[in-house]
Amino acid sequence: MEYNGSAVMAMKGDGCVAIAADRRFGVQALTLGTEFQKIFQMNKYTFVGLAGLASDVITLSDQLRYKVKMYELREERPISPETFAHLASSSLYEKRFGPWFVEPIIAGLDPKTGEPFIASTDLIGCINFAKDFVVSGTANSQMYGMCESLWEPNLGPEDLFETISQAMLNAIDRDCIAGWGAVVHVITKDKIVTKHLKGRMD
Amino acid sequence: MLSAAGPTHAGPVRIPMEHGFSPYTDNGGTTLAIAGDDYVIVAGDTRQSEGYSINTRYCPKVFKLDNNCVLATGGMAADGQNLVRRLKQSIEQYHHVHAKTMSPSALAQLLSVVLYGKRHFPYFVWNTLGGLDADGSGWVYSYDPVGNVEKRKWACAGSAGHLIMPFLDAKIGHHHQSQIDAKTEGKPGSVPFDTAMKYTKDAFTSATERDIYTGDLLEIFVIRKSGVTVEQIPLKRD
Amino acid sequence: MFLSRSDYDRGVSTFSPEGRIFQVEYALEAIKLGSTAIGVQTKEGVILAVERRSTSPLVEATSIEKIVEIDRHLGCAISGLTADSRTIVDHARVAAQHHTFVYDEPIKVESLTQEVCDLALRFGEGASGEKRAMSRPFGVALLIGGVDENGPQLYQTDPSGNYVRYKAKALGSGSEGAQTELKNQYHADLTLAEGIQVALRILKQTMEEKMTEGNIQLATVTAAKGYFVHPIEEIKTLVEGLGQTAPGASTPATPTVQ
Repeated sequence: MEYNGSAVMAMKGDGCVAIAADRRFGVQALTLGTEFQKIFQMNKYTFVGLAGLASDVITLSDQLRYKVKMYELREERPISPETFAHLASSSLYEKRFGPWFVEPIIAGLDPKTGEPFIASTDLIGCINFAKDFVVSGTANSQMYGMCESLWEPNLGPEDLFETISQAMLNAIDRDCIAGWGAVVHVITKDKIVTKHLKGRMD
Repeated sequence: MLSAAGPTHAGPVRIPMEHGFSPYTDNGGTTLAIAGDDYVIVAGDTRQSEGYSINTRYCPKVFKLDNNCVLATGGMAADGQNLVRRLKQSIEQYHHVHAKTMSPSALAQLLSVVLYGKRHFPYFVWNTLGGLDADGSGWVYSYDPVGNVEKRKWACAGSAGHLIMPFLDAKIGHHHQSQIDAKTEGKPGSVPFDTAMKYTKDAFTSATERDIYTGDLLEIFVIRKSGVTVEQIPLKRD
Repeated sequence: MFLSRSDYDRGVSTFSPEGRIFQVEYALEAIKLGSTAIGVQTKEGVILAVERRSTSPLVEATSIEKIVEIDRHLGCAISGLTADSRTIVDHARVAAQHHTFVYDEPIKVESLTQEVCDLALRFGEGASGEKRAMSRPFGVALLIGGVDENGPQLYQTDPSGNYVRYKAKALGSGSEGAQTELKNQYHADLTLAEGIQVALRILKQTMEEKMTEGNIQLATVTAAKGYFVHPIEEIKTLVEGLGQTAPGASTPATPTVQ
């Protein structure tokens, strides 16, 4: 988990969710890229953020997208974020004794009700359904500290963006192997706002 | 018939017993310090734990060393307490030899020297020292166990240090913030006293939520020109 | 000097029946044979001036160093057995650096003086027979000048381990006359420049040789510049000025001995 370094988090707001991740790709202390994608859109309202081993992030994101597409073709309806969390969980548990070195964060709106949903799982798929925020990655303790003190209930999309951005930027500044800029998606019923945050590049 | 090599019968096997002794233990707990233009806040929780057990809910780890210096010790409680006894003695001695009170900068250097003096068997303590300068402005000195020292405006250490540090960066250092209300939020590294007090309490209530080693009671020492005052705030006991 | 010589003369750590330690008293006598050293404390800084007394015209007088730096804010003038002062000055320098190392601040003038005096009585055998530091008392006295948070200060130490703070003090062979003159000419409002004038004028009076820029040494310790040895060119002008002008109105008129 500390091989590449990462920071991913998601927060619930009032009728919205936000998910954020850092953009560093590095091998231990060596930074190799600053535009690495760690958040993947699974369908209109469902996003997954993968923190952990970079190769598994790529492979697992592809595999999850494949499974989501198969689900949606078969069921002829979009997968809800909650169902996706279970899909991710069972995919991870399949590899119980040779796991993906990835701890996913799921964020989205229920396609029917528009109800915000966030969850995180550990690397073998134990789901944590949270009502406030979830964090994952090498900067997790910093992110917990930030979220615990900045987050409050019923934030609107703008305030939620500000809160998650502050939480993310200040957390990754205290982690040597996460950072180099960040990306934030704020998901509301009618639009998805994606913003790239400039951060310290050291 | 017994062979010359010894008894051949099956029976209890004697395995050499290892008598290991580890001189260190981590008693958990979190400390924090914020310095302002005319004050320093030095705070710490009072829970003392060992593994998953709580030894006591009230064991102070923040100590008033004199009217202008407060030291917060995190890590191993026994080492912290002994270190404080030594420092108090040194302060007294200095007072007698040089006929003056020790300035925080002198104490800061002394502490570094004392810690480095045990370079090969260190005090297992993460110190944070607060004091007012000759000109009355507050400063914080933070240490590692072997005496590396940094003079700062805010610091935190201990089991929830990782959780609180970025929060202080944001709130006290105003990192990543462009719109600051100077009246309530001050300038980076010099926030108004009431605001700093609020952040201190917020930081600990938040840390208590996620860190099992932090909780029970928060003890806040405030150094001002007029002297040192103490305030106690209950924290969650779970 | 004393009515009878006795065994008490020899034992450095033995009181005589009259309650005296002769070797210490003799050491104090040794100071009086030394070259003259003058220290003046003013509100701006401390002045240290000494004579470089040489035994032969062939001696390079500038090689005789009797004012030395102890720390940036501390200087010291020496009178007596100068060889002994090496040990003391070394000790003082180490003490000053050690204080800075431990406390990240300059040592106070009085603390440094006390530190030097702690060394003075470490002669003879230790009480429990531990190894002695020195076989006899030091034969040297010091004028320690420095600046700290209490302002400029001048201290005098002697072989007995005593130290006293002075406004102005003279040591060595010419000290008696010089001390009387200091008493006459010293006043609390002296500026540094006036203090230098006073010190040099009196030093000049006590010297047997004609005072030149080459046979005296002058240093000052101020808050701004710290320990500062005045360069030979400046001393030359000062000495020349001393010969020409009569003492200023601020100091009582004293005959200038040529």
